[in-house]
This record gives sequence, C-alpha cells and structure tokens, in this order.
Amino acid sequence: MTPGQRRAMFLIGGAGLVAFVVWGLLGLPGFGHYPGPYGFIINRFALRQTHATGTVSAVNFDYRGFDTVGEEFILFAAAAGVATVLRTLRGERERSPADQAADRDAPPTSGAVRMAALMFTGPLVVMGWWLTSHAQTNPSGGFQGGVVLATAFIMVYLAGEFLVFERFSPVDVTDAVEAVGAGGFAAVGVAALGFGLAYLTNFLPKGQVYGSVSSSGTIALISFFVGMEVAAAFILIVVELLDQTLLIRGGG
Amino acid sequence: MDQLLALVVAVPLLAAAAITGAGPLLGRRRRLLDAVAIAVAAAVAVMLVVIMVRTADGDEVYWFAGFRPFHGAAIGIDFEAGSLSAGLAALAAVLVTAAMTFSWRYFEQVATHYHTLMLTFLAGMVGFCLTGDIFDLFVWFELMGVSAYALTAYRPEEGGPIQGALNFAITNSVGAYLSLSGIALIYGRTGALNMAQIGVYIDRHPPDRLVVVAFVLIISGLLIKSAIVPFHFWLADAHAVAPTPVCVLFSGVMVELGLYGIARVYWSMFGQALGHRAAISHTFVALGVLTAVAGALFCFRERHIKRLLAFSTISHAGMFLTGIGLLTPLGLAGAAVYVIGHGLVKAALFLCTGIVLHRLGSVNETWLHGRGRHLRVTGVVFTLAGLGLADLPPFATFLGKGYVDASSWAHGLPWVLPVFIACTILAGGAVLRVAGGVFYGLGDAPSEDPEMAEMASEETTETVSGRDRTPLTMIIPPAVLVAAAIAFGLITRLGQVAQAAAIRFQDQAGYNATVLAGAHILHPVAAAAAEPTGITVSDVAAGTGSAVGAIALALAALYWRRLPVLRRGYEPGTGLTAAIQRFQSGVVNDYVAWIVLGLACVGGALAFAIT
Repeated sequence: MTPGQRRAMFLIGGAGLVAFVVWGLLGLPGFGHYPGPYGFIINRFALRQTHATGTVSAVNFDYRGFDTVGEEFILFAAAAGVATVLRTLRGERERSPADQAADRDAPPTSGAVRMAALMFTGPLVVMGWWLTSHAQTNPSGGFQGGVVLATAFIMVYLAGEFLVFERFSPVDVTDAVEAVGAGGFAAVGVAALGFGLAYLTNFLPKGQVYGSVSSSGTIALISFFVGMEVAAAFILIVVELLDQTLLIRGGG
Repeated sequence: MDQLLALVVAVPLLAAAAITGAGPLLGRRRRLLDAVAIAVAAAVAVMLVVIMVRTADGDEVYWFAGFRPFHGAAIGIDFEAGSLSAGLAALAAVLVTAAMTFSWRYFEQVATHYHTLMLTFLAGMVGFCLTGDIFDLFVWFELMGVSAYALTAYRPEEGGPIQGALNFAITNSVGAYLSLSGIALIYGRTGALNMAQIGVYIDRHPPDRLVVVAFVLIISGLLIKSAIVPFHFWLADAHAVAPTPVCVLFSGVMVELGLYGIARVYWSMFGQALGHRAAISHTFVALGVLTAVAGALFCFRERHIKRLLAFSTISHAGMFLTGIGLLTPLGLAGAAVYVIGHGLVKAALFLCTGIVLHRLGSVNETWLHGRGRHLRVTGVVFTLAGLGLADLPPFATFLGKGYVDASSWAHGLPWVLPVFIACTILAGGAVLRVAGGVFYGLGDAPSEDPEMAEMASEETTETVSGRDRTPLTMIIPPAVLVAAAIAFGLITRLGQVAQAAAIRFQDQAGYNATVLAGAHILHPVAAAAAEPTGITVSDVAAGTGSAVGAIALALAALYWRRLPVLRRGYEPGTGLTAAIQRFQSGVVNDYVAWIVLGLACVGGALAFAIT
C-alpha cells in the first residue's frame, strides 16, 4: 500500500469511526447526572468498613484489590519484558563508555546540577515514602509513591555518574525487590485464605481511629508492597534503558 | 469456603514473583525453575479441570475480598465459572504445561524471565476466562497482552522479532484503548462494572446509541485479539517470529480467548438489551465466513511453516466466530468443542515444527523437502495432527465443526457447510502437503518463490539446531496432545454436555441471578431451541470427505508438476502471493488503517441495524 492509499483509507475509516463514536457519546447522561449506584454505596460504607479516609485507596486496595493485583503484575510483566528485550545478548559484550574518549576526560557534571540533584534526593525519598505509607488517609498510595521513590534514585544518576547509579541499584537486587513487592501483594491475598476468608479479604485489625496511619488493616500493607514493586520496576526499566544507551555493545 | 477459583490465578502469580526473585540465586541449578514452572502450570490445569467438571450442573461464583452484592449492586469483583469458561481456561493451562515441557531442552539458555512471563501469561488467560467484571476482564486482557508482546520479542538478536512484536503490541494496544473507552462509556451509563449488573440495568431501558457504541468499542479489542479479518494482520507477523512454544499458546488458545470474550460480553451484558438477534447474528457470521475463507487461501499459498499454521488459525477463528455468531446453543457448543480440538492439534503441529527447527534448522517448506525423512515419530505425529486439522473422525475437531455446520444448516444458512468444507480442505491440505513433502519426501519440492523464501529463512537462532536426537521432552508433549484430541472426540455424550453448557452460558437471566442473587440455576432457559447432537452418517461423510479432500489436495500440490499436460514452471496462485504481500505488508501503519476502516464498517452496520 502506498502512503497515499493508506492515508486515504485511514481518513475514510477514521471519519466513519469518529462519526460513530460521537453519535454514541451524544447519548451520555448530562454532566452531573451520576447514575450510581457504585459511588453512592462506597461513599456510604467505605469509611465504616475499612477505617480508611482515603476512599480512593479503599477502592483500589480493598474493594477492587483484585484488579490492582492484576495491574501490579502488568507492570511486573512489562519490566520483565524490558529486561528480556534489552538483555546483553550472546556475542555482545559491554564496555565502559570512558573508552570512547580516551584522549580527553569526560566533561564533569556541572556543580549546579549536582547540587540541585542532591537537594532533591532527600525530599523525594521522604515524599515517596510518605505517599506510599499514607494510602489509607488520603488518595495517595504505592503506585504514586513508588514512582517518586524511583525518581530519587534517578537523581543519583543525574548528580553523579551512571556507573555509580548502577552500583546503587544492581539489577539482581532490583529484581529481588520487585519480586518481593509483587509477590508480597499476592501473598497478602493468600494469607486471608488461611483464616478461611476470601482471597484478598482485609483480615488485619482495622484500628480504632479513622484515618490514622495504623488503621485500615491490609490497605497499608498492600500499598507498601505496591510501592516497593513500582519503585523497583521503574528503576529496573531506567537501568536497562541506560545500559542500552550508555554502555557500548558490539560483537567480538 | 472453597478457594479453588482464587488459587488458579493466585498460584501462577505468586510463582512468577518467586521465580523472578529466586532465579539469580540458583546459579547453575536453573533446571529447578523449569520444574517449578511446569509443576505450577500442571497444578493449575488440574484445578481447572476439577472446576469444569464441578460446574456442569451449575455455575459457581467467587467474590474477592468477601464483598457480596448489596441489593443487586456488586461492590467487589467476582469470578463466575461455568463449564465453558473453566474448560477454556483448562485448555490454556494444559497448553502452557505442554509448551514449558517442550522448552526444557529447546532453548540453549533460558532466561529467568521466560518462566516469569509464561506464568503471568497463564494467570492473565485464566483470569480473563473466569472474571465476571468488565474492568477486571480488561486487566487480565492487558496482563495477557503485555506478557505475550514480551514473549514474542524473546529473541531480540534479530530485527524480525522486534518488528513482529511491535506490530503485535501496537495493533493490540489500539484495540485495548478502544475496549477501555467502551468500558468507560458503559460505566458512564450504568455506574456499574459487574457484567451481570450492567446487563440488568441496560435491559431495563430501550437499546440506545450509547449502548451500541459501547458494545462495538468493547468488542473491538477482542476482534483484534482473535484475528478476525480485517483485524488479523498482526497474527502472522507475530507467529513467524515468536519462539515456537509461545506460538502454541498464541494459536492454540489466545486467539480463541478473544472470541470467548466476545461471547461472554454479549451473553452477560448486551444480548437482551440490544435485541435484533438476526442483525447481530448476520454481522458476526459474515465476519466469520470472510475470515475463514481469507485465512484458508493465504494458508495454502504459504511456504513458511509457522506462518502457514498461523493463517490456518485465522481460518479456524473465522469458523469459531461463525459458530458463536449463529447465537444458537449448538453453534456455541460446536465452537467450544472445535476450539478444544483445534487447540490440541494446532499445538501439536507447532511443537512438531519446533522439533524440525531444532533438528534441521529451518521452517522453510521448500528447503526442507525430503530432509525430514529420518524424523519418523515426528512425521507420524505431525501427519496425524494434520488429519485432525482436516476434521477426520473421530478427532474432536470433527465433532465441533459438524455441530457448527449442522446448526447453520438448520438456521437458514445451508451455504456455510460447503464453504467451510472448502476452507478445511485448503488449510488441511496445506498442512498435509508440508507433512508429505518434509517427512516423506513425496512429489517435488515446491518451487522457490524468492520473496517467500526470504520470509521463510528468517528463522535462525531460536534453538540450537542440527541436533541428532529428538529429546523425549520434545516429542512426548505433541504426541500426548494428538492422543488427547482423539480421546476427546471419542467421549460419548460430549455433544450433549457441551450443548447443555452452552445453554447455560447463553441464559442471561440465569447468569444474572447466579451472580447477583446467589441463585443456583437447575434448569437454564435456552435462548434458542436445542438441536440433536447425535452423529449422523452425513456428518461422518462430511468429516471424512474433508480429510480425504485435504489428502487429495496435498498430493495434487506435491505431484502436479509431473503431469505432462502442464507447462513446467507455472505455479498456481502467484496472483495470490502478490495479494498476500500487498495486504500483509509488515507495515503497522497499514494494519492500523485496516483496523480503523473495519471498525467503522462494523459499527456502521450495527448502528444501522439496531436503531
């Protein structure tokens, strides 16, 4: 197919599809007309049932926690996929990038970048950890917290060098952390079976105070494992990508 | 409380995490990983067979986290297992077990991630089959997809796998986005994600445009996954480059899962609300027949054995869709039996192709001609599987196809029977031509088409080729699968049981009551009259005729050059080759353009018919 034909076909098909979808969208309920009942039920019961003031987290990690297991494993499989595609292949070997410019030193990272990166690292760790550990009190949680935690590691890369960064986060360790995070979530679900409850039932004591960090049972625990998994998965993906671009690979 | 329904997903997920964590610690003792992965897949298969048998007299519902419905509104997520859904999931687990056993000696070096991805793939497939929640369906659909893309690109040494995996990932992701948009629309209308609850809600209101659009968007991702023409282009590209054990899962069960998804979505949510059964049925049957014919034609012309088998899968997917699209119990039952029979023999064919690649280092039919004579056992298994693909009695394929044909005959579509017999002869003939040429050296090697040869020679580094013995772990799985396909077809009353399961599957009111009210439905209401499942002489004649026709076509293709009346060097179907290349360009932009055009047509047709 020539690009012209393809474009013509896409435009005709696209126009038809857009017309069809817009025709359907016009049938949506008006703005503010929430048909219910899911939101109403959750708003009424979530606080009493889970002792979590973060209702979004209550839905994510408790009512619909089973979806979240699947989502977490999508990220897990994606990270495994990146590692598979970018692995060092037979016949390839790695060399440090310094070899390329033997006649001159690599330009040093500017002091301003180093300072800024170092300034950010501490706050990012605190913030990532806070987000991960406060899922039950507000709409944060392990997914957001994990990404922020991973960013803290990437700051180390910006402040220093790639090789230092890699020493901070070797692939085997990151793999293991990721596995514990993903497996931990699935295992919390299985633990409920031991009490004769359904998979992923919130079996831990939920605490006396609504919205305190120690309340809401398994929600905090699951959020912690998710944070671990997400942080490790993002670090793993970044390490693999940097590996691919920064280390010289070639046959022989 | 019975926890089997949760364990079939939780166990492979936990095992995947454990293997990733423990893999690097094991060092040289990596065989342990293989053993664990195979044991987990086999255990899941056993659990699913138990569920399948147990649910013959009534579906089972499992509410995760223990949240039961509140006044008819689902709060949590449920699994809803019936014989059909559990049976399909069991097929997936059996094929994963077979593929992993085959892989034991197949790869030179198996990275830890291979096991991880196979197990997440399995968990995704099982979750997809069993879930009763539309968003949860999407989650497992995505897990299945992500694992499959990564497995396709398992050999990134070459450009081919990356290209095939990218085409696969892009087309299927486009479909996933469309499906998710459809889910958002239906949530916007109903405020629910549970399929039974959505079905009850939209059934109370007259069918409107939003429901029609949501239905088309939701099934669009599933149509792409199930490789229905014109959404099928990614399939042959992905099959050509994916490792052979992975192809077993793609062809044997993943494509079929897309069709199952369409059936599930239709009969749990939209069936009653949309009405207009005739219009919907005609749309699906038209798509199915188009797919069956196109797949069979492309299949016969192919010389790259893996692509040839992939096109045969497309042809069969068309027949399955036709069976489902008839909207009759016997049609659905036929499709279900056919899917199982086809999955078993197609998996065996791929595994035998893997042995050929392992021993001879090629999947090019022309080059391989006569070179596989010493692979006697492999040749016998491949030929038997080829006959099974051509619907020879008593393979389960024969029963399934017979039911689809019988039901279409009884419902005013008598032309489906001859068309499908022709498709079976073409696809079966192509496979038997490979069998006769490669393993028995019959006739002449097909002439080399330079472009086809180029496609076929891409295969190189998947396995250590040129070994002089076939390991037992490689030949036993396909042999067992072929035997299972025959044994399955010999089960008396299989048709009756399958039809009963299909009636249950199609009983939307019964499904709703089971999920939302915890009812135990003893006598499901048939959506259309049940039909006789006895095997008549004409059924046997049709099946045997297909197989004999396929053998005759294969022999003709191998020997026709010796006929003096024909000019040497003339190759039939060169026009077709050009057509294949024009359509199957390998350019993902083309594929997406086809998807968009196809969806506009399907959407337009249904919008016109229903409102």
